Amino acid sequence: MIRSHRRLAAAIVIGASVAVVLAGCSGGGGSSSSSGKTLVVDNSFDLKTSDPARAFELTGSIVDKALYETVLTFKGSDVTKPVPGIMSYSESSDDKTLTLTMDGKHYFSNGDPVTVDDVVFSLKRVQAIAGNPSFLLDGVTVTKKDDKTVVLTTTTANPALPFILPNPSLGIVDSKVLKKHGGTDTKSDSAESYLNKTSAGSGPYMLKSYSVTTKVVFEPNPHYAGTKPAYSNVVLENVAGPTQKINVQAGASQVALDLNATQVQGLDSAKTNLIKGTSPYVMYLWFNQDSTIGAGVTNNQDFITAVRKSIDYSKILGLSGSGSTQPGGLVPSQFKGAIKPDSTAEFDLAAAKAALAKSGYNGQTVTFSYPNDITVDGLQFETLAQALQSQWAAAGITVKLAPGPIATVLDSFRAGNLQSGIMYWGPDYPDASDYLVFSPGQSIGLRAAWKDGADATVTDAANAAGSASSDDRVQAFATWQKAMNASGPFVPLVQPGQYVVTATSITSVPLNPVWTVDLASIK
Amino acid sequence: MSSETAVSDTLGTKTPAWKRRRRPLLPRAWRRPMAIVGVVIVLAWLVIAIFAPLIAPYNPLAQSFTPLQAPNAAHWFGTDVLGRDELSRVLYGSRISLPLSLVLVVCSMLIGSVLGAIAGYFGRVVDEVIMRIADLVFAFPTIILAMIVAASLGPSLLNAVIALLLVSWPNYARVTRSLVLGARQQEYVVAGRLMGAGVFRSLGRDVAPNVVAPIFVLATLDFGNAILLLSGLSFLGLGAVPPTPEWGAMVSDGVQNFSQWWLATFPGIAIFSVVVAFNFIGDALRDALDPRTAEAVSGVSI
Repeated sequence: MIRSHRRLAAAIVIGASVAVVLAGCSGGGGSSSSSGKTLVVDNSFDLKTSDPARAFELTGSIVDKALYETVLTFKGSDVTKPVPGIMSYSESSDDKTLTLTMDGKHYFSNGDPVTVDDVVFSLKRVQAIAGNPSFLLDGVTVTKKDDKTVVLTTTTANPALPFILPNPSLGIVDSKVLKKHGGTDTKSDSAESYLNKTSAGSGPYMLKSYSVTTKVVFEPNPHYAGTKPAYSNVVLENVAGPTQKINVQAGASQVALDLNATQVQGLDSAKTNLIKGTSPYVMYLWFNQDSTIGAGVTNNQDFITAVRKSIDYSKILGLSGSGSTQPGGLVPSQFKGAIKPDSTAEFDLAAAKAALAKSGYNGQTVTFSYPNDITVDGLQFETLAQALQSQWAAAGITVKLAPGPIATVLDSFRAGNLQSGIMYWGPDYPDASDYLVFSPGQSIGLRAAWKDGADATVTDAANAAGSASSDDRVQAFATWQKAMNASGPFVPLVQPGQYVVTATSITSVPLNPVWTVDLASIK
Repeated sequence: MSSETAVSDTLGTKTPAWKRRRRPLLPRAWRRPMAIVGVVIVLAWLVIAIFAPLIAPYNPLAQSFTPLQAPNAAHWFGTDVLGRDELSRVLYGSRISLPLSLVLVVCSMLIGSVLGAIAGYFGRVVDEVIMRIADLVFAFPTIILAMIVAASLGPSLLNAVIALLLVSWPNYARVTRSLVLGARQQEYVVAGRLMGAGVFRSLGRDVAPNVVAPIFVLATLDFGNAILLLSGLSFLGLGAVPPTPEWGAMVSDGVQNFSQWWLATFPGIAIFSVVVAFNFIGDALRDALDPRTAEAVSGVSI
């Protein structure tokens, strides 16, 4: 009897594990589409907060775009021309003053009208919190002129400002509600936990439920001033790439945002539509310039040259799938100011070995960090990391892989504590000036401990690019990126192919490099 | 327990004479087909683990083939997303899973049974403290607690073993404690103490030989579990760090590419075969070492 019990128990355990595996695979996409009112969108989450003044992740932008309106916006996928959102704009000839005027009536989800005070409060709050999106308004002074007008002034010319303002992180929040819940436009703001439960915006949707790990549910904002969205209930759920494929084919979800090149092969075209493009996200490598963390290896310029030359970029593109591109610099290929790959990013094993010998590297192990729980457009960091490790080993560079959850890796990276690794950058606004933060002493530059004054050539080129007027900008940004490639700690690796798979019931998914997808415009 | 039951419980008195005459070289438990299958599978994996470099057709880390080939003549188990030979990786995987599981089981058996024996033998405060710590560990689901420990230590195989060690010793402690509790009141143990044996001599000479058999059975049965837990942590990205060919991590790779069935299937079969084999052996071992259960189950054995 005991034996048969054990067998039975074993059978139950095996059965249960299979059930658990299958349940895990099928994800949480239980919502039915039969009503035609519910939209389930699958995304591989990198969500940290839904507070627009703090959120700066890809998923955070999708969420905040649905919840909050911005003063200016873009129409559909066209990011070459900002259009009025809550306000319309006019720019002074010296690009130093931007005048915003209230454009029609807009209402928060509780029925309060959006006022100029809300706009001033929201923008100042972003600056005061000094969070990840705060740099968007660096050097911008926000002033209320009258009950209809807000003036943004900068001491230096800022031609990119109208392209910055549509960013969902600059979403306008209800200042009256926020002030009741700890919101201030000073550093002591504590409204984040409130905003993670209740939205306080004038966007097409409001927050119904919110979880950073599983799903975010939206319901319509009854007071939304714009066109009513097609779906009255939207679920944005956290699902890994492979499961997204199963979900969208099974009808458990209608939009899958993170399928990669391999996964979109063999999709049932009777049940799904495939939208193909090149991702605006640049995956790049960084090498810490701090002498303690870099240990004389990653902060050695010849070592980084060896690293660049020992990467077989064609193989990396092969792994990244059709539609992927090798960016020449950090600016993505579809933006103005992008460059073609130059000689610093050509696979040349002999040159790599020579540079390595010159660097004095003698087999020290380099720790290479990457997030192992997210994908960028369905491309796994782990795949690239293993390929790079193998290619560098061929050149004689020993690399130890250090995977971790995105939250951990990102925190350590932002603190500048990681020796090297791979990360991605999604555009905050579709302008090459968004990438100047990679310069020495700037926010991303500092993550690689590339301090102010570390490289005068790059700093000069960055300043020139930042202040160049319209016609000279393309050339100035090219010069800056070439300088970065010649002596910087960042190696632009790949822009993955981008694929969105939708159920056939979906007729339109406008993709946008700033907020990926506007949930309200999915039809 | 009366002396009469104690005597009848020890070997032999209830076994009919004809059964005793038929007992040949190998205990009956070992002659069951399932035990033989288990032993054969484990021996096969041991051979593979020892001679992996000779058996495997390619270097398990070489990314030199066309990625994602289905199983074919050149690559029996196909190739993975980076163009590595899946067969070689599965074979090399045995060199990770088997020794680490062995280390894990032996260590947790040693730690658990020593603590359990101390708790059972000394009783009172010592017992309370050790057992309450064990309860504390039991209060959490094993894999969750192991995940927390492994996540805080950072992913590596060594950390995974440490994490699992922390959560797996109480099983042994409990069983050992209950056995020692029973054994320490036996006349021969009391007699030993009266004759002047010290605490540890008594534990080692009189108690230990009478409690090791069930512990050993438990360890064998636990071996399969250890492999599952280690693979589980690697599957979750908390164990083996790429590019180590570890079965759990390989199944995880396969899950990323559902359409390529061979990526998860073969390492999955490897895990399955080892775990099942150890369970068969554990069953047989229990029957061999514990005649009472052997009698009880003899009617339903295959």
